[in-house]
Amino acid sequence: MTSGEHTSEGVAASQEPSAPAPFAHASEAEMARILDFYAVRWDYEPHTFPILWNLAGDVVESFTPDFYLPDLDVYLELTTLKQRLVRKKNRKLRRLRELYPSVRIKLYYARDFRALLLKYGKLALVESLTGTSGQVVPDRPSEDAGIDGLAAVAPTGVVPTAVVPVAAAAGPVGRPAPRAGRRRAPEATVT
Amino acid sequence: MKSGVDLVGDIGEVLLTEAQIQARVAELGAQVSADYAGRRITLVSVLKGSLPFMADLMRAITIPVRIDLMEVSSYGGSTTESSGLVRILKDLSASIEGEDVVICEDIIDTGLTLNYLVRYLGGKKPASLRICTLLDKPARRLVEISVDYTGFTIPDQFVVGYGLDYDEHYRNLRFVGVLRPEVYASVG
Repeated sequence: MTSGEHTSEGVAASQEPSAPAPFAHASEAEMARILDFYAVRWDYEPHTFPILWNLAGDVVESFTPDFYLPDLDVYLELTTLKQRLVRKKNRKLRRLRELYPSVRIKLYYARDFRALLLKYGKLALVESLTGTSGQVVPDRPSEDAGIDGLAAVAPTGVVPTAVVPVAAAAGPVGRPAPRAGRRRAPEATVT
Repeated sequence: MKSGVDLVGDIGEVLLTEAQIQARVAELGAQVSADYAGRRITLVSVLKGSLPFMADLMRAITIPVRIDLMEVSSYGGSTTESSGLVRILKDLSASIEGEDVVICEDIIDTGLTLNYLVRYLGGKKPASLRICTLLDKPARRLVEISVDYTGFTIPDQFVVGYGLDYDEHYRNLRFVGVLRPEVYASVG
């Protein structure tokens, strides 16, 4: 995917400005407030990137970054899990970067988010905004729902054989699937 | 008034000594002077943290210099909680239209404040707008910013001194040091 496909106009097609963004985690809501404060426009989970396909060409694993910042053309993913628990997310991120090398994405770990709260004098909130205690939407559609399906066609240990090259996958090459992302456009004007 | 702050004892490690800072600021001043030779620049200090840096930098610059000060509210600041939007607490005193402007920052980490300031000051139509920062902490960057002059690139640690504060303290240290985690851990 080229950055040109991610113009703010293109993303705007999926915006639903009247509805509040349904954040999955309190840390995401806090990050949105920070971005709003500094007048940085954001979209919440506007795109899903397929990252694994089965032999039939069905998407069995995908990755949906938390935020897209249209003016900066960068995705932002927050993870406030303990460092030892982020291996899976790191793997998905590596896969995303392999398949979509032109996509710019930043991963903010728990330690980064903690440092952010420290910087803004909100360290006292760290426990309520991170880890499992920060989850505000308990039941979300899993992006790995297809993994079980993958196991049916590719026994444990031979998963790589089921990975379909991007060019052979269904849908346009390198184009993420659009989601009903929510957008907030801060009212602050910069003159 | 008793503060409970141990100005030096709270520092776990000196990251940059006074001598290192002064030497680098002199180099930056020489570089800026060479780049703008024959012209006049306006240094804009972003309060409060960059005050010591700009005071030293302006004296290391050998071309004509105007100075101005700006202050913007910070996220989480008690004075801005109600609005939820960044505010200009102190604007420039004079026009910068047609001027060569160099923003002086103490530290760039997320880049959020600077991103806002660059857009804000860019709207005032300066002839040019560059960024000079004493410290750069790229590991924390959320918004990519093109920095023209960097004093030191530092690791991902919470630093204070030479203008940088924690809860408004430690700004008057003459060096840059890493704050002991236990100083702020008790808050969390």
